[in-house]
Amino acid sequence: MTEHTSPDDRLNELTTSLPREIAPPPDLWSAIRAELAPRSSRTIRWTSRWRVAAAALLVAGGSSVITLLAVRANDRGRAAAIVAGTDSAPASGSRLPAHLAVAELGYERSIGALRRTLDERRDSLAPSTVATVERSLRIADSAIAEARSALEHDPANRVLADLLVSNYERKIDLLRRATELAPRT
Amino acid sequence: MARALSLVRHEASVDAPRLVVGDDELVDRARRGDVDAFEQLYRVHAGRVYALCLRLAADPVVARELTQDTFVKAWEALPRFRADASLSTWLHRIAVNAMLERRRGDLRRAARVSLADDEDETETDVAGIVLAPDVATAIDLERAIAALPPGVRRAFVLHDVEGFTHEEIATMTGLAAGTLRAQLFRARQLLMRALSL
Repeated sequence: MTEHTSPDDRLNELTTSLPREIAPPPDLWSAIRAELAPRSSRTIRWTSRWRVAAAALLVAGGSSVITLLAVRANDRGRAAAIVAGTDSAPASGSRLPAHLAVAELGYERSIGALRRTLDERRDSLAPSTVATVERSLRIADSAIAEARSALEHDPANRVLADLLVSNYERKIDLLRRATELAPRT
Repeated sequence: MARALSLVRHEASVDAPRLVVGDDELVDRARRGDVDAFEQLYRVHAGRVYALCLRLAADPVVARELTQDTFVKAWEALPRFRADASLSTWLHRIAVNAMLERRRGDLRRAARVSLADDEDETETDVAGIVLAPDVATAIDLERAIAALPPGVRRAFVLHDVEGFTHEEIATMTGLAAGTLRAQLFRARQLLMRALSL
């Protein structure tokens, strides 16, 4: 440390020494890539942030409708089977497009980290709030599973891909908001 | 102090970083829908955008989302990008706008649900950061910046770290010059106290 420098100068020195670049999460590009719309059309893009419970409920309802419509657009007969749960189950293992599979890993990591944070702070939340959050998370999981299942049957369907990404983002948003409700201990 | 500050601005200027050879060509290709070209632009600029978002948000998850929003919006707006500004500056502005948009949404939501608002007036525990005297480092500074109240942090990051001028910050944030000066003064006082300088 330099001697005889004023606090202002020292703060300036430290500020100057801050790294100009910080490596983003390695999977971030995959998540971005999944959201890039072709130049001629627009991706379904969800920017509004909803309150925890309402968000999950809307995800579930909206997801089901969009999934149904998207799948029907490509394969009406198969869609009915998927939604009704009578379609033969897909083989185990991911059959998602590669970029989505990579993005999914990133989302799962973020979800895991947020989930751990929420669990650590759970005691500071009212039981009714915990119940609402858990119910909302189950709904979000259901929406993700529904979009994922449909996408595995129709990997080229961009609407379903966008829907899956949106559902993951909403779950992360849900978890983030829940952790914000719980004060740090 | 003024000289030192101007030095910081110069070195931190968004326009000052290395000249990225090929940006123009990559931008041109990306404008026409070439995702590979856009990925190359991302590889070049993501580090600085993420650093900005991380310092503005003080939350890795939010920083990730803001960075993602920034590049998705950049992709959508690229056909309208004019080369009279550097791509780096342009991306920074998108990131700041994304952060402000998010902040406004958070505030509206907080008002609706009557949650405690941590906007500028609320002192976080920045002064309570316990640091051994005379060992302030860049890492300590990062922690202290993260603990600043949001508005004060935004002013410090944009001005002292990223090198935007008062006028540029006023344009981006809508802050009055006096408010910005007060926030910068407050930021420096809090940081010096937190770092025991």
